[in-house]
Formats: sequence, C-alpha cells, structure tokens
Amino acid sequence: MKTPALFDEELLYECYQCARCTGSCPAALAVEGFNPRNILLKCLRLGLQSAITDEKLWCCCTCHVCEDRCPQIIDVTDLLMSIMNEAARHGYMPEKVRVSTNMILHTGRAVLVSKRVAHLRKKLGLNPLRTIPMDEVEGILEKTGLAAMMG
Amino acid sequence: MKYAFFLGCVIPVKYPGFESATREVASALDIELVDMEFSCCPSPTVIKLVHYESWLALAARNLCLAEEEGLDILTMCNGCTNTLKEANHVLKQEPALRKKVNEILKPWDREFKGTIEVKHLLDVLCDDVGLAAISRRATRRIPFGVACHYGCHFHRPPRIMYPDRLSPSKSLVPTQMDDVLTAIGVRIVPYMRRFLCCGAALGTKVDLDAANEITKEKLRHMADRHVEAISVACPSCFEQFDRAQVLLKPADGFRFTMPVFYISQLLGLAFDIDEEKLGFSEHRVKVDPLLASTGVRGEAGHPRREAEQGRGPIS
Repeated sequence: MKTPALFDEELLYECYQCARCTGSCPAALAVEGFNPRNILLKCLRLGLQSAITDEKLWCCCTCHVCEDRCPQIIDVTDLLMSIMNEAARHGYMPEKVRVSTNMILHTGRAVLVSKRVAHLRKKLGLNPLRTIPMDEVEGILEKTGLAAMMG
Repeated sequence: MKYAFFLGCVIPVKYPGFESATREVASALDIELVDMEFSCCPSPTVIKLVHYESWLALAARNLCLAEEEGLDILTMCNGCTNTLKEANHVLKQEPALRKKVNEILKPWDREFKGTIEVKHLLDVLCDDVGLAAISRRATRRIPFGVACHYGCHFHRPPRIMYPDRLSPSKSLVPTQMDDVLTAIGVRIVPYMRRFLCCGAALGTKVDLDAANEITKEKLRHMADRHVEAISVACPSCFEQFDRAQVLLKPADGFRFTMPVFYISQLLGLAFDIDEEKLGFSEHRVKVDPLLASTGVRGEAGHPRREAEQGRGPIS
C-alpha cells in the first residue's frame, strides 16, 4: 500500500514564505530551530529528503493552527506529516515515538498498563480493562507494512 | 440515546476517574454507553505521523466495530475524536482509499461502510441531550471561576472536525464547553490565548521541558485573570496542565495552583454525584482546598441547604 495522494507537493509552490505559520506555531515558540516555514522552503529548494534527518521536524504538535492562519490556505500540518512519514520510512524518528509506536503495535494501546490500574479501576467500581484482540490488530498492522517497517 | 463508548488509551489506564465520572453523568442524563473491543484510536500524534496507512486502517477497524452495532461513537479524548472523525471523513470521501482499507480488513470480515458519526462527549451534551436538560439536572452550585481549554484536536482542522459549524468566514473557534458549563451555572473566566495548544504532543514525542514552556505561557495568562480552576475535554491536555503546575519550579518565578477538571467531573459535582466516583485522587494539583474553601464540599454548599434558603436549583 503506497502513501495516499493526500500529500500534495504542489502546495509547496503556493507558499510565499510569509512565515505566518511559524509566527503562530506553539512549538516554534518553545523550541529554538524548529521553523515550519523553513522546512517548506528546504523541501522546495532541496527536495523532501533534505528535511527528514533533523529530529526537530517532530516538534510539530499537529495543532493545525498554521492552517487556520495561512493566507494561502496550505495544509501545513499535513505537509509536515508527510515529511515525518517519509523520515520514518528511512528509519528517522525520535526514540519516544518509536517506543509509542511499538507499544501500539504489540499491545494495541498507546499507554503502558501498570499493576496499579486494576486496583484503581476496582476502587472506582469500574470493570477490568477489556482485552484487545491482538491477532486482529497485529494482523492489520502487518498487512499495512508497519510491522516490517518497525523491524 | 445509545452510543458506542470509545474510552481511548489514556483515560481508562491513567485517569479511570474520568471514565467513571462520564458513566455516572451519562446515566443521569439517560445516555446508554456500550463497551466494545476497540484498540488505540490510533493516536494522531504517533502512528499517523509514522505511517499514515496504518493509522487509517486501524482507525477504520474501530469505526467498523461501531458500524456493525449500528451505533454512533462517543469519545472522551480529543486525540481519539480527531483520529476517528478524520478517518471517517477521509474514508467516506475517498473511494480509492476505502477500497484499499477494506481489502486490508477483509480477512477479519470487516468492511467500512460509512454509516455512523463520531461525536465528542461535549457534542453529545450540546446537540443530543440539550442544554436545557443538563441545566435541569444541575442541583449544586459551582461558585468558582473556570478557564475553558478546548485543546487543538477538538476542533482543528475545522474543514474536517466541524465543516458546518466552523470556517474562516464564520468563526474558527468552538463554544460547546462554554455552553455546557454555563448551563450548570459555572462562571467562565476569559483569558488571553484561549486556543493556544497545551503542549502535550511536544512532550510525548520529543521534549517535555519545551512542552512545559508552552504550558507555562497558557498558565500565566490564566493566572493573570485570577482563574480558580481549569476545565479540559481531553486527558492529554489534563495531564499537561496538571503535571506542569507541579514541575514548573517556584524558582522560575511561577507558582500555579489551579486544579484541573475533566468536563464530566465538573458535571458530576453539579449533579451532586458521589465524589468517590469522580476520581479526584489522581490529580497532582489537589482539588480539596478549592472545593472546601468555595463550599462545594461540605454542608454549606449542599443543594438542599440552598433550597431551604430559597435559592433552589440553578435555572
């Protein structure tokens, strides 16, 4: 299964580098060197591959506020998402993201279930956590290619 | 009213109190919740960024489970809402993608048909239950000033989350939380940068300290307006605000003590539901001082006492 046609590289040409995306970006506010405008420029000038190795790429919180503000109505978050997808295909992703992805792949949940959970739920009068049919979940993620990609 | 109850990963494991509060509130409002064998939604800040196709296929499986029972999905977490709404939207709009996903799901006898909707708890409360019914059920006053934080994934991007309600020509920001809290008599405190991200996604993926800087910015604006408590519609936003207040040291010049409430905990208080069911024990910023000093807890704030004084239920 190939990447769906949701990532439209033509959108890069719509960008006139006004930096409204970056001015409104919460992650750019907090992380020096994370700059969505610059990532788009880099992709346009040097190609997608030039943007995939810098881990700062993953600072995008996917809050989509850049899209609300972009005068050219570019789906900046979706562009960044596609670049992250490409980075992951080449093995580049932050350790925390790798751990969470493997957790979902093997347990069907994004959060580790500690021993305390059962006790907490019982105290509140809740039923124990339902089991997740992992044959099916892992089977699906094998067919999509995630299992092979994560190794 | 009957829904497939989508718990997500964070709430049932880290904050089961939000689940039990929601179940209590739902039962008080005659909402029936059906549990199913859902997996992770999966998260829009993890798998979607790593492998879009896997994100779509796993989301489709979750949607199929609810479709098979003929039920709309009720979500409690913004991440789940964002993923399931977007996947539902994409799969309804793009026949080619739907075909690919259905081929993947076929060995398990599942087929995405596009017959249901995904609704956040706040939307069920506003649109399906109705504000009047909520207001009628509220018997206890909540006399403290609350800041609403919706969280980005609740409403962005508007072209997918609320194509009919939000747009650049109308408004880009939602009102459901303000509406529900106003209906139970809560005083909403406006503050600067209401729709700024909480920072959680940056912390879970890359850098928690940087994430807390974003959170600090928001907390500062809230404190400037003398906010007494924060209301959220998402467990990730909750964790971020709750944890950052403890982690941000007084040495930074900031000391925040604004307890954070998940929306159904505030409804639970207003509905006079047994506090044991609302799960305040997992909060890092303790709610007890606020509940005691404002009279929500204890005899002074009890609805029957207020009725005796001629104030009666909130209308």
